[in-house]
Amino acid sequence: MSGPERVIEARHLVRAYDDGARGQLTVLDDASLEVNAGEFVAIVGRSGSGKSTLLHVLGGLDTGYRGQVTVAGLRLDGLDDAALSRFRNETVGFVFQSFHLLSGVSALENVLLPARFSARRVGGLEGQARQALERVGLAAHAARSPGRLSGGERQRVAIARALFSSPRVLLCDEPTGNLDTATADEVVALFKALNQQGLTIVAVTHEDRLRAAASRVLTLTGGKLS
Amino acid sequence: MSGALWPLVKLSLARDRRTAVSSAFGLAVGVAALVFFVSLGLGVGRIVREKIFPVDTSLVEVVPAQLSFGLLGGGALDEATVARLEALPGVERAFKKMNVRAPAVTIYRGDFFGRPLHMGLEILAVGVEPDFVKGDVMLGEFVDPGPDKPIPAIASTRLLEIYNKSFAPQRSLPQLSAQLLAGFIFPIDFNRSFVTSTPPNASAIPAQGQLVGVSDRGLLAGITIPLETAKRLNAAANLDAKTFTALSLKAVDPSQVPAIVAAVKGMGLRVDDQDRRMAENAGAAVAISTSSLALLSVLICLLAAFNIAHAFSASVRAREKELGVMRAVGASRAQLFRLVLAEALLLGLVGGVVGTTLAVLGGAGLDAAAARLLPEFPFKPETWFERPAWLLAFGVLLGVAAAAAGAFLPARRASRTDPVRVLAG
Ligand SMILES: Nc1ncnc2c1ncn2[C@@H]1O[C@H](COP(=O)(O)OP(=O)(O)OP(=O)(O)O)[C@@H](O)[C@H]1O
Ligand SMILES: [Mg+2]
Repeated sequence: MSGPERVIEARHLVRAYDDGARGQLTVLDDASLEVNAGEFVAIVGRSGSGKSTLLHVLGGLDTGYRGQVTVAGLRLDGLDDAALSRFRNETVGFVFQSFHLLSGVSALENVLLPARFSARRVGGLEGQARQALERVGLAAHAARSPGRLSGGERQRVAIARALFSSPRVLLCDEPTGNLDTATADEVVALFKALNQQGLTIVAVTHEDRLRAAASRVLTLTGGKLS
Repeated sequence: MSGALWPLVKLSLARDRRTAVSSAFGLAVGVAALVFFVSLGLGVGRIVREKIFPVDTSLVEVVPAQLSFGLLGGGALDEATVARLEALPGVERAFKKMNVRAPAVTIYRGDFFGRPLHMGLEILAVGVEPDFVKGDVMLGEFVDPGPDKPIPAIASTRLLEIYNKSFAPQRSLPQLSAQLLAGFIFPIDFNRSFVTSTPPNASAIPAQGQLVGVSDRGLLAGITIPLETAKRLNAAANLDAKTFTALSLKAVDPSQVPAIVAAVKGMGLRVDDQDRRMAENAGAAVAISTSSLALLSVLICLLAAFNIAHAFSASVRAREKELGVMRAVGASRAQLFRLVLAEALLLGLVGGVVGTTLAVLGGAGLDAAAARLLPEFPFKPETWFERPAWLLAFGVLLGVAAAAAGAFLPARRASRTDPVRVLAG
């Protein structure tokens, strides 16, 4: 097969929630998506349109959907918890709007978190974590705890954590949503640099600057991508 | 569990040190109480068994029936009956015993191990076969010496203990040991009594006894002498010198005792199990008090488990977001379950080890205090405690088990953390 490698292939995704008295709320309604290796895809849409939901499905965090998802050659629908967890551990990296770092623990220890759940027994974990911190420009702050880092630095620690296992794709949910303009610019620049190094990125966003950095922009409306 | 989780276990315990310490402390208290009371119960039980009622579990004491069964002469312990008893299955051998059926007194006037002593005492004498007390004879042969020679006599270990711990101190008499006693000669007048009227036609038979040893098998309130001597004395006093007072049946194995007892009863004879019963009753009393205190301790552990359940529920709730992040970076449900459980197991291990150590130290302290502060009394032990390895292991295990039980539901709750829900926003 020629052409770029397919990293994500999602077909006919349907995700509905029980919405109390009003019955079902269908958030994803026959959504399909393909992402090739090396792409930087931005997904935009109104608040509540289902962007986070889509990201959770693609990253193997959500299992309550119908449809087929293949990421890095692995069919996710139907995998059991252990296999799905292993997939999250090795194949994707999540970056969240509110960083979600472990408090009271050094940046290095935060970056090492995926290793604690990994079945892969490799040495030099700490060196690997330091390398990830270096990639986001925080090598000097390895020993600091999140409480003593700025918002931008925290998000970069979170990105280092997502990079730790050398994932095939980075899934980012409003990664600049909690940052001021200047810091957000830095983080976007970091994503751009990482993408130029070959990393595939899918980012959900409201923000123009992230949309501008992306190589492709998709809009989620009415549960479908266009 | 995979060792990779340990850094996280240590991390979360270190972050919430206060909860960790209080959880482990509760467990330590329960474990300490349990190990302490059980080791005390075992220790006291051993004192009862080995010192106060040293019952040989493979011995059956056969005594004649109270009523004679006429025709066959049934119920008496004559040589024929002894032969039949000895032939019972499971009986290794039989030891014949015959009381000196005449009353006897000892009137001592003179030097008693360096102190002047003047005392008259009614005594009982039982004759036994030499093999019965073989191991305890320290001086000469345990055989009938014939008239005019001192009769070898064995005293009871328990009597010596009572003498040393309460009788001697009250009368400022010296402390005695088997070694000191061996060779001691004292007068005995058979056919004489302070308490019963002796038959008018009987005249006192003066004799001497010589202590040759001390034995658990010795008669408590009297002396134990060679069987042939007892026969000779009974004959001299025109009393029954043919039938035996009792027969000790030595079972091949203690497990055969019940069958032997049944066979003996089937022959119309009685079994004197007074000592055994007293030992059993005392043992049961110790066992019951130990069990109730152990139960109390288990309740404390249960309380500690509830405390851990409570603390861990709160901790899991507070760490909801963290657990969600862990799910996002690749933790499986099973791993989160193990993570929380491992935290509890570590606390349980610490609580169990600390509690067991406290119990051992507390017992040792109590032993030391008892040795210094309590006055001497019969059967006063050097240690009140017995701590077999299984008890210490059980203490540690109890801590671990209680912690695991307490943390089970919180761990399950942690494993069910829904990352999508907790990571939203
Ligand atoms: N667990 C749930 N139960 C019921 N409804 C839910 C649940 N989770 C999400 N929803 C609903 O699904 C819809 C999509 O939610 P989602 O978080 O994917 O939106 P979003 O596009 O990420 O919004 P935002 O931009 O505000 O983050 C919303 O209407 C939301 O209320
Ligand atoms: Mg969202």
